[in-house]
Amino acid sequence: MSLANDAPRFRAGVILALFAMVAAPALLVIYQSVLDAPFFDDNVRFSLDAFRFVLTDPEFYRALWTTTLYAFGMVVVAVPLGGLLAFLITRTDLKGRKWLEPLVLVPMFLSSIVLAFGYTVSVGPSGFVTIAFKSLFGAAPWSIYTLPGIILIGGLSHVPTVYLYVASAMRRLPSDLEEAARTAGAGIWRVSLDVTLPMVLPALVFSAALNLLLGFETFGIPLVLGDPNGILVLTTYIYKVNTIFGAPTYQVMAAVTVFLILITLPLVFIQRRLLRHARRFAAVGGKGARTNLLRLGSTGQAVALGLIGLWLLVSVFFPVGGIVLRAFVENWGEGVRLTEQLTLANFKAVFEIPSLSRGILNTILLAGVGGAIAVAFYLLVGLAGHRNRGRSGTLLDYSVLIPRALPGLIVGLTFFWLFLFVPFLIPLRATLISLLIAYIIVGLSYGLRIIQSTLLQVAPELEESARITGASIYRSWRDVVIPLVKPGLAGAWAMIMIVFLREYATGVYLMSSGTEVIGSLMVSLLTSGAMDQIAALSFISIALTAVGLTLALRLGAKLHD
Amino acid sequence: MTELVVENVEKWLGGLKILSGACFTAEKGRIVALLGASGSGKTTLLRCIAGLEQPEIGRIVIGGKTVLDGEAGIALPPEAREIGLVFQSYALWPHRTVFENVAYGLRLRKRPAAEIKTRVETILDKLGLAHLAARYPDQLSGGQQQRVAICRALVYEPKVLLLDEPLSNLDAKLREEARFWIRKLILELGICAIMVTHDQGEALAIADHVLLLKGGSIVQDGTPIQIYGQPTSFYAADFMGTNNVLSGAYEAQADGGVVIRCEGWSLPGIWRDAEPPRDASDIRAVVRVETIMVSSEPTATSQPLDVEGCIYLGDKWEYRLRRGSVRLRAQGASELSSLVAHCTVQPASTWLFNP
Repeated sequence: MSLANDAPRFRAGVILALFAMVAAPALLVIYQSVLDAPFFDDNVRFSLDAFRFVLTDPEFYRALWTTTLYAFGMVVVAVPLGGLLAFLITRTDLKGRKWLEPLVLVPMFLSSIVLAFGYTVSVGPSGFVTIAFKSLFGAAPWSIYTLPGIILIGGLSHVPTVYLYVASAMRRLPSDLEEAARTAGAGIWRVSLDVTLPMVLPALVFSAALNLLLGFETFGIPLVLGDPNGILVLTTYIYKVNTIFGAPTYQVMAAVTVFLILITLPLVFIQRRLLRHARRFAAVGGKGARTNLLRLGSTGQAVALGLIGLWLLVSVFFPVGGIVLRAFVENWGEGVRLTEQLTLANFKAVFEIPSLSRGILNTILLAGVGGAIAVAFYLLVGLAGHRNRGRSGTLLDYSVLIPRALPGLIVGLTFFWLFLFVPFLIPLRATLISLLIAYIIVGLSYGLRIIQSTLLQVAPELEESARITGASIYRSWRDVVIPLVKPGLAGAWAMIMIVFLREYATGVYLMSSGTEVIGSLMVSLLTSGAMDQIAALSFISIALTAVGLTLALRLGAKLHD
Repeated sequence: MTELVVENVEKWLGGLKILSGACFTAEKGRIVALLGASGSGKTTLLRCIAGLEQPEIGRIVIGGKTVLDGEAGIALPPEAREIGLVFQSYALWPHRTVFENVAYGLRLRKRPAAEIKTRVETILDKLGLAHLAARYPDQLSGGQQQRVAICRALVYEPKVLLLDEPLSNLDAKLREEARFWIRKLILELGICAIMVTHDQGEALAIADHVLLLKGGSIVQDGTPIQIYGQPTSFYAADFMGTNNVLSGAYEAQADGGVVIRCEGWSLPGIWRDAEPPRDASDIRAVVRVETIMVSSEPTATSQPLDVEGCIYLGDKWEYRLRRGSVRLRAQGASELSSLVAHCTVQPASTWLFNP
């Protein structure tokens, strides 16, 4: 036992409250899945009908198979590309790598619904690029509404996640390991293969596992790109179940979610183990400045820059450029001069429809004010877990894992149920508070990780000396820990803000009239096909994210650990 | 007046026993040093006294108040123990000025602002820091940071002052000065101080009483003179000073003296171990380097040894000598020019122990 075990009541209280918040949705889903009607129905009975229905529905098996293909396909696309980009940017003398890095990360900061929409308007059947290509070459030999197209786009949009983990592992590699191999007589490429690659292998494996999980939970990209051809993944299957039955069939949605959890929960645990292993591997040491970078030579430079340029063109320029253009035109097509079509009509329409303009305001409120509240909450949880080696620490560990196994769509759905029927929560349903609580749970693992790593930077003696001087543990947090982590909290706030800005799945069920948010509005506008408004909203979403990113960088937030 | 009582403190880390039954007391106006190699449990013992670690068994009383009693289930948190601790890293709060760092303990004790101001200014002045009150810790030198840390620990007049390797972050010159003024300051204030150190020179110079720790228990305690001059175990003898260690067999002489018989050489000595010899065929002799007298001419009691080499150390020379398989280190004022040196090893300086 050490000092860590004081303030036990505070720690236990916060951690139990958090556990209740994360366990409630998971348990409610499982409970709902074994009922024959919505759980709030008066005549509800236990029944396995929902599972029976799902297991006999060929559409479910097709969705399961598609999801599996999508998840693995995404890994196959994203991991090698992300690894290669990380290698080129951190380990070689590639020209302009300083400003390439933030560009490479752009897809990560945009919501996948915005990205997917961006692909539709640029390389979709009647997208700008497709039309331009057709007018030049007569035909455009691709279709993004097919499974391979969706997988490719999903994979490309997840390259930044791989890049982040692998690049940070490569940066942490002590250069003396490589220098030892060089002095032993290995050439520079040989060293990369024999020393660098094995040393970052844990990071590659971890990012593969992470992308697999993200692949199974994916929603936005298959929703936008798969829908036109009826390609369903598990999350879109859940979303579409209502349309199939023509009425809310909560038990079927819950049953599919249970299957999804059966896949994602093991993945979360595997990841946790991998991460521990990866840390052990990479924690060898850190002589920061790497002195010798691999020389690419002029041909190498050209090939590398060409490759990165192509990836940037497809992953950043096409979707973002497409949205920017689409937001300012209403008509386009072959033979139409876009310069004559520029208009602000789309934005005018958005600002004239009350629900849409409210959505913009709500999104800003949720991201800004809500983000600050979320950081305060994560800080409370972070302190409860800070240097806590007691049993409540283990519970905290597991509490953080649960929401990672639940897609945002499901978290939103279950909180919608909770706010519908838990008496003291009902008055909150039609307020932004309900959305904020769900957002806090969805962002928990990311937000808490930022806060925890910030808290760990405070040397333990600084807290101990406050205790010795006569401060209680709370006083030492208030007077020493919190003042010291303040700059880190500002950065965390900006990062959480970006996460909340791009969130779209959580609000799909939870938002109601008065609590609309941009991302979820786009999901519901998709069904009505209001492309003009989606384009304007996407543009606004990108602009807000850009503002958030600028703020994050000014506040000194680290984009990577 | 006894300010600190530590009774039978045991601390486990998993299955590993870090402290096994440490017992000692400390008086007001006296300085106790906890001396030991790394892993000896000295820092853990200090942290147990401070309340930063919680021992499973034992009793600790500070200023007459029981702060820890394993049986009675008493374990006061650090803030309720009325102690001051100077951390090895000093642990000055980087977001507070020197004045605010020092004033914090008084603020927590809700002293009136005017009193805080005078007390902080007085102690800063006493340690020559008055002109630095408005600075932040990162604007101070290492020596200044150390003095601020000491001020911070002393200003609220704790019953016991704990110092964790207080000199280890200072450079050699400052360290020698600090040995002197820290001792002087503590004696002047008349408080009870406990210092952890791995440096025997520091312990001998600063403390009134030294506890030598090994593997979580106290091997020997006594005044610096006793610890250095009258060790009661091989570990204690070998830990202190610079030594020659010889292995050999124990032999009792007809005249009552004892001898260690090494290969081709036997040396008369005195049995210093607290216990009688366990195995007469295997004992150790410890001879402090500075007690061996070397001359180029033979004397009545000297033995001839081959000179293997001389090392210049600045203020003296070290000689590497050899006879058969026995190698000795000795010191002298000048380089040896001959191939053979004549050494006198005093029986009174040849301490014999169980290994």
